[in-house]
Amino acid sequence: MPGAQGGQGLVEPIVLVTPGIALLFGAFLFPVGQILVLSVVPSGEELGAWSNFARFFADDYYIRVAWRTFRLSLLITAATALIGFPLAYAMARAPRWLAFLLLLLTVLPLMTSVVVRTFGWMMVLGRGGPVTDLLMLFGLSARNAVLLQTETGIVVAMVQVLLPFMVLTTLGVIAGIHPHLEEAARTMGAGFYKTLRHVVLPLSLPGLVSGSLLVFAISMSSFITPNLIGGVRLPVMASAIYQQAIHTLDWGFAAAQSTLLLIAVLGLLVPYLALMRRARV
Amino acid sequence: MVGRFPPSALVLGGLALGLILVFMLLPLGVVVAASLTAGQFLTFPPQGLSLRWYGDVLASEAYLAAAWTSLKVATLVTIAATVIGTAAAIGISRRRLPGSALLAGLFLSPLVLPSIIFGIGLLIVFSIWGNGPSLLALALGHTVLTMPYVVRTVAAVLADADPAIEEAARTMGAGPVARLRFVVLPQAKGGILAGAFFAFNVSFDEAVIALFLRTPGVETLPMRIYGQLEFSPTPAVAAVSTLMILMTIIVVVAIERSLGLRKVAT
Repeated sequence: MPGAQGGQGLVEPIVLVTPGIALLFGAFLFPVGQILVLSVVPSGEELGAWSNFARFFADDYYIRVAWRTFRLSLLITAATALIGFPLAYAMARAPRWLAFLLLLLTVLPLMTSVVVRTFGWMMVLGRGGPVTDLLMLFGLSARNAVLLQTETGIVVAMVQVLLPFMVLTTLGVIAGIHPHLEEAARTMGAGFYKTLRHVVLPLSLPGLVSGSLLVFAISMSSFITPNLIGGVRLPVMASAIYQQAIHTLDWGFAAAQSTLLLIAVLGLLVPYLALMRRARV
Repeated sequence: MVGRFPPSALVLGGLALGLILVFMLLPLGVVVAASLTAGQFLTFPPQGLSLRWYGDVLASEAYLAAAWTSLKVATLVTIAATVIGTAAAIGISRRRLPGSALLAGLFLSPLVLPSIIFGIGLLIVFSIWGNGPSLLALALGHTVLTMPYVVRTVAAVLADADPAIEEAARTMGAGPVARLRFVVLPQAKGGILAGAFFAFNVSFDEAVIALFLRTPGVETLPMRIYGQLEFSPTPAVAAVSTLMILMTIIVVVAIERSLGLRKVAT
């Protein structure tokens, strides 16, 4: 029995985890905590402690940015769930070679730099790109219509960037559904689609929900793709924070916006982690 | 016996899968195609075929310097994250530690916290208490970001390992160091390798923290590509991007060989 020795072996695991804990406290929790502190510290002499938050909620511009971020994240999440569920189901039930191929084609884009993938979308969606040609071919748009610097463009690119997270989270749950359950439903007379709808979908729900929470949290805080595809005309919260921190050097205000973003994201991630823990057991 | 999948599901499913795959691979394919152009401008489809833009990149001091910086950071990060992460995973998987579930959660937390928040935190800390961002600051940030991957892959392998072997070594008189060296580390080898490849890949590709810690003299490859994309990219950017895609393919193959993608991904 590994645990039978009781306290005898406690020193060794403590020695092993200490460097990691030191790194996490010094280089992770401390910087993140620093943001929280800086967001409430008064930034000017005549300003109160919460002035940075007051400024955020008083300014129409930032409310609009926050609303756009929320709205786009919702669309992105819905689209990834819609595409991700059939893909994850196919991965779980396909023959080995096909399942592996699908996994490879999900993981490969995931592990490619976001900068490179976004660059690809800039060409696909931009002037003279294949999407414009297709739309023109079907007479769906005027000449030179471009999806670059549109909200549609941001959603399309973000769905491709975040789909792997949805698929892999859902796959973990679907792979745990025993095929006998589907076979039982089928032999009892339910059709394929009915089985999918009444057996597989409800059982996959924990995966879909945790995948959605994860995708929503990541898209709320994404910055590279929305910034490059949307441009300066369509800022999201993360690009506003980047502007404040790097260009205007208003760290207090950037910290306050980061804190708001952190609260929103934690509100999503805590249920996500709870769901994942339940799914693992 | 009922057939497993009706023909309509196979046709519809096949069609949907085909479309999804095109959607997933399209941006990568377009970048690769555009890098092969013989023309002056970034276009898709490319005009003529040539490798001239690869020559351009290999002759460009700015790109070579950025690649060298990326390589330095990623190498430092891989070593640090693999050593610290492996040790932590072995410690956590002992389960003799009180609160090891909480500890596991703490070690995985950098995976889920948005890197933009971590990035601005690092920038503020290094500006207030240090001399501003530097290559080491970036490496430190990436080490935090990549350590969870190592912890996860090593812990996954150790969960399947037979603890009786270490117990046997202990009863035969092997000390803690000898047990680590001759039993636990060999058992964890696949996970350690996969974690190291992950760490290298994530650090080499990462742009968000790098952009926050941007400072003259420290420009990684993703930072340089990002900068080019903000203005007017040339086919040289496509060539560099293609080289980065190639590197990712190599890493993915290495991870599949060392631990198996399926095990890592879900």
